[in-house]
Amino acid sequence: MAKNKNIARDLFRLLNADKVLAEPEDRLCYAADATRYFAQRSPDAVVLPETTEDVSRVMKYAFARTIPVTPRGAGSGLSGGCTPIKGGIVLDMKRMNRIVEINLTNLVAQVEPGVVLAHFQRAVEKEKLFYPPDPQSMDVCTLGGNIATRAGGPRGVKYGATGNYVLGLEVVLPDGSVINTGGTCVKHSVGYDLTHLLTGSEGTLGVITRANLRLLPLPPARKTMVAVCETPEQAASLVTEIISQGAVPARLEFLLKSGIGLMNVYLANRLPMTGEAYLLMEIDGLPAQVREESGRIAAICAGMKVLETRVVEDDKEAESYWRARQNLNPILQAIFKRVISEDITVPRDKIPQLVQAMHEISVSLGIPLGLAGHAGDGNIHPTVLLAQVNEETEKKAAQAVERIIRTGLKLGGAISGEHGIGLHKSEFIELELGRTQIEVMKSIKKAIDPKGIMNPGKIWMEEAGL
Amino acid sequence: MSGDLGKYLEQIDKCSHCEFCQATCPSFREELVETLLARSRLLLIKACLIDRELTPSPRFRDIVDGCLMCGRCVEACPARIPVDEVVAAARGELNKGKFCHELRRRALTRFMANRGPDRMIAFAFAIAEKMGLWPPGIPQPVSAPVTGKLSGVVKSRGQERGRVVYYIGCAANSLDPVTARDVVQVFTENGIEVMVPPDLVCCGLPALAEGDLEEARGAVVRNLEILGGLDAEAIITDCSSCGMMLKVKSLSLIPAGHPLRATAEAVSGKVWEATEYLNGVGLSRKPGGLEVVYTYHEPCHRSFSPTMKDAPRALLASLPGSRFSELADPGQCCGAGGTFFLEHRDLSGRIRAKKLEDIKSTGAEVVISQCPACRAYLAAALPGKELLHPLSLLARAYGFRGGG
Repeated sequence: MAKNKNIARDLFRLLNADKVLAEPEDRLCYAADATRYFAQRSPDAVVLPETTEDVSRVMKYAFARTIPVTPRGAGSGLSGGCTPIKGGIVLDMKRMNRIVEINLTNLVAQVEPGVVLAHFQRAVEKEKLFYPPDPQSMDVCTLGGNIATRAGGPRGVKYGATGNYVLGLEVVLPDGSVINTGGTCVKHSVGYDLTHLLTGSEGTLGVITRANLRLLPLPPARKTMVAVCETPEQAASLVTEIISQGAVPARLEFLLKSGIGLMNVYLANRLPMTGEAYLLMEIDGLPAQVREESGRIAAICAGMKVLETRVVEDDKEAESYWRARQNLNPILQAIFKRVISEDITVPRDKIPQLVQAMHEISVSLGIPLGLAGHAGDGNIHPTVLLAQVNEETEKKAAQAVERIIRTGLKLGGAISGEHGIGLHKSEFIELELGRTQIEVMKSIKKAIDPKGIMNPGKIWMEEAGL
Repeated sequence: MSGDLGKYLEQIDKCSHCEFCQATCPSFREELVETLLARSRLLLIKACLIDRELTPSPRFRDIVDGCLMCGRCVEACPARIPVDEVVAAARGELNKGKFCHELRRRALTRFMANRGPDRMIAFAFAIAEKMGLWPPGIPQPVSAPVTGKLSGVVKSRGQERGRVVYYIGCAANSLDPVTARDVVQVFTENGIEVMVPPDLVCCGLPALAEGDLEEARGAVVRNLEILGGLDAEAIITDCSSCGMMLKVKSLSLIPAGHPLRATAEAVSGKVWEATEYLNGVGLSRKPGGLEVVYTYHEPCHRSFSPTMKDAPRALLASLPGSRFSELADPGQCCGAGGTFFLEHRDLSGRIRAKKLEDIKSTGAEVVISQCPACRAYLAAALPGKELLHPLSLLARAYGFRGGG
């Protein structure tokens, strides 16, 4: 408690009073992200910086006193990444929310990290430009958080994730110094690529205070389609079939019947509950291209004898399917006592095997396993669902998680596609990267953050130091 | 609904911290402090009043009182947690036995029964204004309500197409009688007979917002006893918040097993905001030309009926000569929050400032909205512009000016 009071007192001296929160109520509200169960303790204080200078001051102070600092965007992450498990200072970046520039000629935008993704997308779309990354929390999540976790979403299949759009960063380092990495040009071959080292670093190397993001021209036409499939296996094969025949939807989502049942609550034109699995797709591009591609996909669906293919003509109706899809994870969290969202990603041609393996895990452990995700890019989220939390179900959940992770790796995939490691997957990171690679990462961490104050306790396991 | 917060425990536990309420919560959007967010209010109400892990402090009180009760978080919430009801119950818990609250409660009781201020309350309001406690530009309610003048049946003009009961909101009743007259005019012009029953009381929402559930229930019961006995196809109201109370919240207050439950359900099924009802049955009289540029501010209490916010746009689209200029963010709160702005002038003012900018950039000279609090609060800061109920704009197109 004394520590909390001291830090708060110092911060009040350092910054305007309305940029610092230190009451117990405030601190409690910054303890967790969207995975409640990773919250371990409240921070000692919360700082709401408004400028790079504010951030730099806080970092200089924290560096001098060796106080942990955990940057935070919306707090909508799914890996416990922004939970201040060592206390210290939470840097809530949401007030740094200016879109500094949208450059129409260079197709580049400069933004502060607290800009909400959906606000940014609307702003660029007004200029007929397009920023594709679309994590499902897009109405609230911030660009800084997206960059720090390499966030992505359904559009990954055609457009990749956040990492593909970051051209340059302004970063405050742990000692308070400020660097500018990369730039605004698409080509950049100068020294080590610190831009993409910081991208995805989950706040463990520095604080992102500005970013240059690549933009695309806005596709003038789009169309949403739904394929109702007889079995999950059929839906999985359909994914591989669509892609191998050269059609690349902008979004290609795999959903189980149970997920559709939950989504139907939000849909005016409900989907039939006749299938066991569903593909929700969006095709975008020039009007002729959209017509041609959606026709081709409809033909593939017909050829594979799916139960029904729905082509949604009305834009508003189309939007409602994607909005319902956005709500799926939170609604599961409301129904089940605990929801563990896994984030493995596998090569696309392994989707049928993945679906089969998930089914086996669910049956052999007797535990419900949701399966919904971005099948088009191999990033399906197997979701462990616990109706009750007790020793037995927790044990089973842990077994399920381990088997899911190992399956993903065996199929040549990765343990996280878009959520990041945080606390959630640190115990498995070595399985994928191996000892040597982790040692390389740790020496980078040590070089940039010698005192280990940036978001401590994340990415790798605690006993391994830093 | 009962005063017992524990009843909401299961609902509170459904909050997954997904943070989706950040998209709509007006106090959060203004301050960008997560403590002032719907999900944080749930977390802290549980910690302070249910689990007793934290002692309710002045900061906690501010956080609970800092909710505008707009209900927009419920719309954004994938689990549809009734955050507004939880906050109301928490306020009730915090207000228990507080002397100041007891004074307010007594004043409120009189206000609600009277559907406007009696002489004593009017006197208190006048003192408040003199002392600078009343925000400038906001009209004070008058104690000569319009219901008395409109009570009874107003026959339709031309062929009768239907009959409705008109529940006049307290604001129209004692602040803005022109709106009440416009509603009656427009309906009767369109072949719909309007009955204004005497003796109705306030819908009860002000008491509910204070967490005074017994008082709120009392008002609902009184109104149900009258409305339940009337023969009408629909019960219309000019106020979106009264609509929400009569249609949705009344059912939470009159739970299954209550002797009036069946009446409450029957009445709830008939309640419509006036614009929405008229848009549903369609206009039988064509409006005349009206040279006006107008925009539409969606009231926060709109989700009780999914098409309520579309109705003004649809109904007025046919006004010859007029031009509709959409706000960039029509659904964003204006900061009024019923009477919230009286006690949170700074926060409300900052929320309103964004709305004002949005309104000014549309170039509209008239702003329509179905919420009388929004209209009064926005009008106070928009000299030269008019704030009208959608049906008042229609009334003008029929040639009635200022309540015919």
